Amino acid sequence: MQILVVDDDSLACEMTAAVVESVGHDVLLAENAVDAMEKLSAAPGIAMVISDMNMPLVSGIDLFRELRSQGVKLPFILLTGDNPDGLLQEEPTLDGCMTKDFSIEETLPQMIADVMARYAANSGAY
Amino acid sequence: MALDLKKFEARFVEEARDHITRLGDGLDALTHGPSDSENINCIFRSAHTIKGSSRMLKLIPITDTAHHLEDVLGALRDGSLAYSPELGRLLYRGVDGLSALVERLAEGGELPAADVSLCNALAQAAKGESISVQPKISGNSFSSPDIPDILGAQVSDINSMPDLPAPNVESKLKTPDTVRVKMNKLDELIKLMGEVISSHARSRQRLIDIRDIERMDFGAASAAGNASSKLKACLHRFALTLREDVLAQELLMNELHSKALIMRMLPLSIVFEPVGRMVRELADSVGKDVECIVSGSEIELDRQLIDKLSDPVLHLLRNAVDHGIEEPNVRQTAGKLERGRITLSARQDGGWVVIEISDNGGGIPIETVREKAVRKGFLTEEKAAALDEHEVVELIFLPGFSTSPIITDISGRGVGMDVVKRCIVDDLQGVVSVENHPGAGTCFALRLPLSLAMMRVLLVEICGIPFGFSAQYVTELLRIPQSEMLIVAERQVVIIRNEFVPVVTLEDMLHIPPQHVRSPQQRKNHEGLLLLVVRVGNDKLALVVDDLLDEHDMVIKPLPEHMRRLTMVSGMVTTGKNELVDILHVPVLLEMARNARSGALVHRETTAAGGAPLRVLVVDDSLNTREIEKDVLEAHGYLVTLAEDGLDGLRKAQQGDFDAVLTDVEMPNMDGFTLTERLRLDDKYRDKPIIIITSRAKEEDKRRGIQVGADAYIVKGDFDQSNLVDILRNLLG
Repeated sequence: MQILVVDDDSLACEMTAAVVESVGHDVLLAENAVDAMEKLSAAPGIAMVISDMNMPLVSGIDLFRELRSQGVKLPFILLTGDNPDGLLQEEPTLDGCMTKDFSIEETLPQMIADVMARYAANSGAY
Repeated sequence: MALDLKKFEARFVEEARDHITRLGDGLDALTHGPSDSENINCIFRSAHTIKGSSRMLKLIPITDTAHHLEDVLGALRDGSLAYSPELGRLLYRGVDGLSALVERLAEGGELPAADVSLCNALAQAAKGESISVQPKISGNSFSSPDIPDILGAQVSDINSMPDLPAPNVESKLKTPDTVRVKMNKLDELIKLMGEVISSHARSRQRLIDIRDIERMDFGAASAAGNASSKLKACLHRFALTLREDVLAQELLMNELHSKALIMRMLPLSIVFEPVGRMVRELADSVGKDVECIVSGSEIELDRQLIDKLSDPVLHLLRNAVDHGIEEPNVRQTAGKLERGRITLSARQDGGWVVIEISDNGGGIPIETVREKAVRKGFLTEEKAAALDEHEVVELIFLPGFSTSPIITDISGRGVGMDVVKRCIVDDLQGVVSVENHPGAGTCFALRLPLSLAMMRVLLVEICGIPFGFSAQYVTELLRIPQSEMLIVAERQVVIIRNEFVPVVTLEDMLHIPPQHVRSPQQRKNHEGLLLLVVRVGNDKLALVVDDLLDEHDMVIKPLPEHMRRLTMVSGMVTTGKNELVDILHVPVLLEMARNARSGALVHRETTAAGGAPLRVLVVDDSLNTREIEKDVLEAHGYLVTLAEDGLDGLRKAQQGDFDAVLTDVEMPNMDGFTLTERLRLDDKYRDKPIIIITSRAKEEDKRRGIQVGADAYIVKGDFDQSNLVDILRNLLG
């Protein structure tokens, strides 16, 4: 599966990508929301977006809202440096929201799997 | 899980450093313009990024510190907190604390826990609580005694953390651009570099090997058709790729070589700087007044040379003070300034550095040296009397020779000139020469290679045996037809650009056993003779060699201890074929050639007609030519005086009384035509034979020679000793 990772901190971006790749996914990188939009339209194979929250100009949550308003229904996981609860309250339709920390090695693959399972179940239901 | 995020740590350190720099800059800007929201945004993001990536790497103390810093900056950003100088200082402390942690991580140390007092202070500041805890911060003036105390306490808390290096602003300002490295580590590196380059020679050899294989006739296989031609094509491609690889590697290695050597280069000032004071002190202690002028101390040499150079240079300087510069009253009588002058200078000359130590003293007293050599039993009175000025000066390099009548503290004790010479020639692969001007001073010149680590080496073949020459001694390699070899004074010479150069066959000089010597037919395969012309100072020698094998930068390895007494071999190199090759030491070869020359020549004491020996003045700017003409004439019983150019010749002719003058044409200061003209104006020389010897064979030159009054005009190409001697005999009657 191809996943788009969006983070303006290139180091964090690559670390996230490494985690995602370690469980067998292909990764595309974008360094901000604008870049992410371009990558999405250029690569139709992208099946999921994992974005950092805190980015200059357009934040992760703004990116999510923009995508949804454009009718892009891809699963979207938001990563943040802070507590995720506030963000989930603010935007309950997020597929996932988690803190970037050292446990990301386990929690992120788990969350990817959960989100994908949910999508599969939903699509199966239709 | 297999993934290890730890491998991102190095990158984290790099990026965190950038962010910390940005934080520092941002805080500076904040003090000047606290309301610049773009700036606050920027530093907030830096703190945030450090927090984010450190958290992913489980660098908790960094995360915590960055987190608290971010909170304060966040409060500043949304305006819930106002900037104050006190807050600024706290933020600086926070950034310093962060920096200390990151540097600790970079060193590979365990991270200490985050500084609790710093974090608390930041947390309180973020909440705006600082007002309640430290009620005077925003309300009162900066001069309030409490505030500095509180901040001071925080500072000392940070400093007293045992595991945390104290944030030191000073050390951040002067980022070091040098690193101290132990000398032996550098030596090892350079030695290794040499080995790498030597081993690269083997790759080059492999390239030659594959080319040979390529050229091999596959014979029957070629009849097999396709498969074989495919193989050939593959081989060819492989050979081409290999060549490119070897060449590319060679470029890199040459750069590595020069870069590595530069690391060990030091300026001569290390040796030269203390010299001025030392000379003045020495002079004071012996009651002389001496000034010392130093130049060229910026020239750089390999540290190996610098280390060993100090002793010989100091010894020569001591000599100059002690023996060179005269007592003040002697100088006065001689009409010189009472204050003597010693110059120490260095300059670069091709692959050499020339260091000159000269004084304007009395020069080396030739007669005193001659007497002393006899008295000390170095040579017999007759032999001493036969030595010319140059040879007498060379006597001072004999072990145990010292010219000072009283052994003083300064020189003439312990180390002598022989040690100086051994050090320069043997240890440093250099050359010592002396220029003596009686009454006007002495100049010692030390020629040294820039580095001993690697040398340009020419490999030649003699009788199928390879020998090496370090390139700084080699002036040229040329092929001449056998017919250009002349016999003068019972030895072979060639004329190279208006100069006689003695020719020596290396196989004779090295006494290579006859079974090795190729038959003449084999040698005739080549057109003429291949001559390797070597030079030390002004002394040249042409060596007959069979072939030039290779020319490369090589590491010259010293001889093993038990072979050190072989003075003719200065070291060894390894070739691509893993052969050991001797490097012949040119100064020793020249000395041997000179000795062989004087031994072979029997000076005929038979005088020319009339009983008293006839005196001949030989004027030529080439040392080799002068010496050879001198040998020829002395062999026939003439008494010879040498002059090195027209002006010198004129002076000597006027001072002395010669029966004949032999002169070259092209010379500095005054040419041979002018000299002849001037001599003809002098009553003493109006009717004396003057012979011009030159390589100018043009008719108009000959006419000019006759016009200015020469009696004979000999072209060097036709030179033949009997010719010259016959002419002289005819002219002198």
